[in-house]
Amino acid sequence: MNDEAPFYKNWRVLLLVLIILGSIAAITVSYSNGQLRFGNNLKYGLDLDGGSWLQVQLQGAIVQVDADPGKIVQVEFARLLSDPSVKIEGTSAGSFTFTTSKQTTQKTIDSFGFGTSTISSATGGGTRVTLQTSKDFLIQKYLKDSLNADVKQIPSSPGRPSTFEIRKAVTEDSLNAILKPVDGKVVPPFKEGVTPETRDETKKRLEDKLNPIALKQITITPIGDNYLLIDLPGVSIEEARKLALTPGKFEIRIQVQGNETQHVLYGDQITGVGVPQKEHGDAWGVSFELGDDGANALRDAAIQYGAVTNPNAHYLSMYLDDNLVFNAPLAPDLAKNIQSVPVKNMVATTGTGDAGQEKAKELQLHLRAGALPVPVKEAGSGEVPAPLGQKFKEQVAIAGLIALILVAIVVALRYKQPNIVIPMLSTSFSEVIMILGFAVVFGLQLDLATIAGIIAVIGTGVDHLIIITDEVLAGGALPPDKVYRSRISKAFAIIFAAAATVIVAMLPLILFMDSSALGGFAEITIAGVFIGVFIARPAYAVIIQGMLVESIDKTYIEED
Amino acid sequence: MNLINEKAIEAYVKNTTLKQMLIIPAILLILSLSILAYTTYRTGAPFQLGLEFKGGTAAYFDSEKTPDQLKEEFKAFNVAETRQYGGGQRKIIQFGPMDASLKDELIAKLKAEFTNVEIRDMGEQFSKSLQVQAVRAIIISFFLMAIVVFITFRTFVPSGAVLVSAFADIAFAGAMMDVFGILLSLGTVAALLMLIGYSVDTDILLTTRLLKRKGDLNDKIRDAMKTGLTMTTTTLGALVALFIVSSGLIGSFLLIDIIRDISIVLIFGLIADIVNTWMTNVGILRWYIERKSQKSEKKIEKPKKRRQAA
Repeated sequence: MNDEAPFYKNWRVLLLVLIILGSIAAITVSYSNGQLRFGNNLKYGLDLDGGSWLQVQLQGAIVQVDADPGKIVQVEFARLLSDPSVKIEGTSAGSFTFTTSKQTTQKTIDSFGFGTSTISSATGGGTRVTLQTSKDFLIQKYLKDSLNADVKQIPSSPGRPSTFEIRKAVTEDSLNAILKPVDGKVVPPFKEGVTPETRDETKKRLEDKLNPIALKQITITPIGDNYLLIDLPGVSIEEARKLALTPGKFEIRIQVQGNETQHVLYGDQITGVGVPQKEHGDAWGVSFELGDDGANALRDAAIQYGAVTNPNAHYLSMYLDDNLVFNAPLAPDLAKNIQSVPVKNMVATTGTGDAGQEKAKELQLHLRAGALPVPVKEAGSGEVPAPLGQKFKEQVAIAGLIALILVAIVVALRYKQPNIVIPMLSTSFSEVIMILGFAVVFGLQLDLATIAGIIAVIGTGVDHLIIITDEVLAGGALPPDKVYRSRISKAFAIIFAAAATVIVAMLPLILFMDSSALGGFAEITIAGVFIGVFIARPAYAVIIQGMLVESIDKTYIEED
Repeated sequence: MNLINEKAIEAYVKNTTLKQMLIIPAILLILSLSILAYTTYRTGAPFQLGLEFKGGTAAYFDSEKTPDQLKEEFKAFNVAETRQYGGGQRKIIQFGPMDASLKDELIAKLKAEFTNVEIRDMGEQFSKSLQVQAVRAIIISFFLMAIVVFITFRTFVPSGAVLVSAFADIAFAGAMMDVFGILLSLGTVAALLMLIGYSVDTDILLTTRLLKRKGDLNDKIRDAMKTGLTMTTTTLGALVALFIVSSGLIGSFLLIDIIRDISIVLIFGLIADIVNTWMTNVGILRWYIERKSQKSEKKIEKPKKRRQAA
């Protein structure tokens, strides 16, 4: 009655075999440098491999702010010019005019960075200044100056007040207090956190900073918009906390006179750092690149303090966490150049020979490890020592083995026929292999939570195989092909519904929880359910029919 | 040896009335809810919160010292609790919040003195936000599961019965967490969510078999029970294996709390599921089907007894 090809030629079975082989290959074979290698490609989490993790909070806020731009000009220039009698004469879109009782020059006004200005003398001996600038720029500038922090304007929805990202820990109340003198306020909602762009930039900076120090590849996973989870395999918790949490504030200052120096720019203005190489003749150096603002700031400072005309009296100094790490005068040709245009690319020369090379290497690290875009605060940490991880690994392997044996005993007691029990256990085991293959291909790492997920999925897997078996064998005999198909489809109706509930129950872990452990658990569970429902169980339905055909078919026909 | 005692199942299905079927699960549910309510009344939350949801620092290490000695020794570090696992050397100290420099000092001290030191530290602010997210995840998860169940059966009473028994499973597992002092951790949250998806497996099997198959009602219940109990037994087998190896109570196995938490909560949930599927759900469904067939007696065909070969 069964004229079809034998079960092992059925496409579902072939697909299963193919994917199992593919998974085994993914787990054991790797290809690098033109060579095939055999080994274990599974990636283990920190709790199995040993190492430490650190979760940091990115401190910042995203706020919508409204304020009176005229007031800002008045308050700011009263402070900058030390003149309480600064008075606003007129404002229009993009232009603000004020008078001050002090004598001042356009150069001074421009150096405050409020925009281009025109200057005329006011009646009564003071100065009249007209600034070409915008309201948004003024609010940003005001926040920057009052908070002594970086503030970025970000696009806001039409009709809403301007939105700013404040890269410092602030509260709504403290901001309102700051804005009060300029008739400003925070327009709710006040949102703690930073933009995804800033978060990703911070992540990249941290990677640059930590990767050269860690022996193995560190991984940084964003958790929501406010947190980064840093995995440092093989690094102790003390080291991890020291490396990641010390902010590494990098600053360039310029010598004004004697020991007196002035701030020029922070490390966040350094957009690129080269590798140490020999520059002029034998001298080692590190090239670095400044952003537009940084190049302007350097130029302004060099001109303002006279470094362009007399470089040797106005050294540039670089500080990391307020420690002097480098100091040198502007090179003569650079000094000449910078007078006419802002210079973005320059080289810090460290000297000749091995000592110069060492210094250059160190400076490169310092330049690269410059301040993160936002300050970070520890929000959690942990460590599993490597020997303990090894022990955990052994233990979960034993757990899996015992689980498999217990399941085998239960199934054997229930069905007693090897041609049911063996395919059932093999299918179940094949699911484990396919899930592991999936983990390798998609770069999921195995940790304790995901292993628990895999074992739980195998539990549901066996359940579904039992549903198929009992449905097929209802009445204890293998029915004709047509009836068999309808029974299989009934079994799968149950299986699909059951699988769907597991998947939807797991989804909130991925969508609504900021936990990478639970996210991994849910991902592997959902993947396992899909693999089981669409690959392993349909194949099992075919196999079990094939296995039973010979033994029961005859009895059935005789009975008919 | 037979895994499933068919005669016992047959006798149970035949002789148990609706009232008898519902009384045990009803008592269990009331008991579970009372325990949860009492815990909420006493502590302000239905579960005791673990490190991940409360914040603080925990250290796991090997030491010959007793928990009391350790408590004394670490007095300066805001010790919340010291514990010992099994009869072995493994000790746990839980600390309340402390500042960064004190934490540096603590880590240095722990590592200098003990071996195999595992450290876990969670910030308070992040833990609190996780707490809110966990509660939300459990509610959304149950809601989504309910939608799937309603889409599957499209009738009110059978779907409702599935949800009632799933709810009772979760309530029982939660109550047992309180009774045995299991904290709400990432592991137990994962287990409760898994339970939401898992516990309806047998209910879906039962409901589908009863509503969509032809045949004598009691026969169908008996067959579904045979399948369902096998399913639950295999799963319990796998979970018991996980618990044995991860509990830190047996032999030289170390405590792996995330796996212990997941396995123990699922074990409780599945034990409750046996009661709730084969008493609550069977009871409600049988009542529903019998009532429906009485209403439409004329339409119904005489049930054909299915051919039994075995």
